[in-house]
Amino acid sequence: MKEEIRQKISMSLYHGARIVLGIVFVYASYDKILHPAAFAKIIYNYRILPDELINLSALFLPWLELTIGSLLIIGVWLPGSVFISNILLIIFFCALMYNKARGLDISCGCFSTSLDDAPQSNLYILRDFGFIVISLYLFVKVFITNSAGIKSPFRRTP
Amino acid sequence: MTFNSGQIWMKTIKQIFFIALIVLVAGFASNMLRSDKIPLVEDWSAKSNLVTSSGENLEISLAEASNLFKKGGGAFIDARSRAEYDAGHIKGAKSLPYKEADWKFVEAMDGISEDSALITYCDGETCELSMELAIFLRNTGYKNVKVLSNGWSVWKQNGLPVETGE
Repeated sequence: MKEEIRQKISMSLYHGARIVLGIVFVYASYDKILHPAAFAKIIYNYRILPDELINLSALFLPWLELTIGSLLIIGVWLPGSVFISNILLIIFFCALMYNKARGLDISCGCFSTSLDDAPQSNLYILRDFGFIVISLYLFVKVFITNSAGIKSPFRRTP
Repeated sequence: MTFNSGQIWMKTIKQIFFIALIVLVAGFASNMLRSDKIPLVEDWSAKSNLVTSSGENLEISLAEASNLFKKGGGAFIDARSRAEYDAGHIKGAKSLPYKEADWKFVEAMDGISEDSALITYCDGETCELSMELAIFLRNTGYKNVKVLSNGWSVWKQNGLPVETGE
């Protein structure tokens, strides 16, 4: 009985995390899909990507966020979407840290393409770290403890 | 023994491939259909904020700016608000907030000849006050106006001389 309750809590946590992260990604993609030119300007302001990649990123990154966000919410193709989600969040984290380290006070462009927000890099970094925690938890669940019902390379056969 | 090792990774790779396909199609299609489409590749260097409409690049590097500072050959003009200026500015800089430039200009530029090298600055990568002020000053007759991008931040970080107060 106890084991059953534990399992239930674990499963709700897993599905909750998946849906929350999915909503975050879908929400993040919305404004950027509507305003690719403004988003390109934000990517340019990060001063990380070469010029040739700025517009391509502005065009495809929001759609990638929308796609994996939707997949996370629906709960299909989880290995693929959870994997990409981890990669994306870690890239964002590095970009934010890098620009904080060299003192660039720029708009995050995380959830909006507006330039006017007073930049608060600490908040952006902390927030992204929170998402990474959720995303890594899902990675462990999907790839290691096999919650999605997928055969895992890390689990022994019973 | 692991159980069908590699199977989940094959699945993952396959899914990533299809996700990439969806994203490519959606991204291209949405850009084709929208009225304000953006070019796939754009020359951002030429689009720099620090290029005038006539194509002249007003940017000055920190090295050049600090050289001028050391030689005493240039005047620094702070385009930010007076309050930000008072809280800290490049040593010896004059305050000429862009938003008040029209009526503060005569007082602020008193004693600076039209031939002297001027360097405007504000704070933040996306701050456009310094560029606007530079264009304003050029229109009033100053020929040698440059912009130190993200000036206050880079100046401070490099430990160059600053001062506070009026």
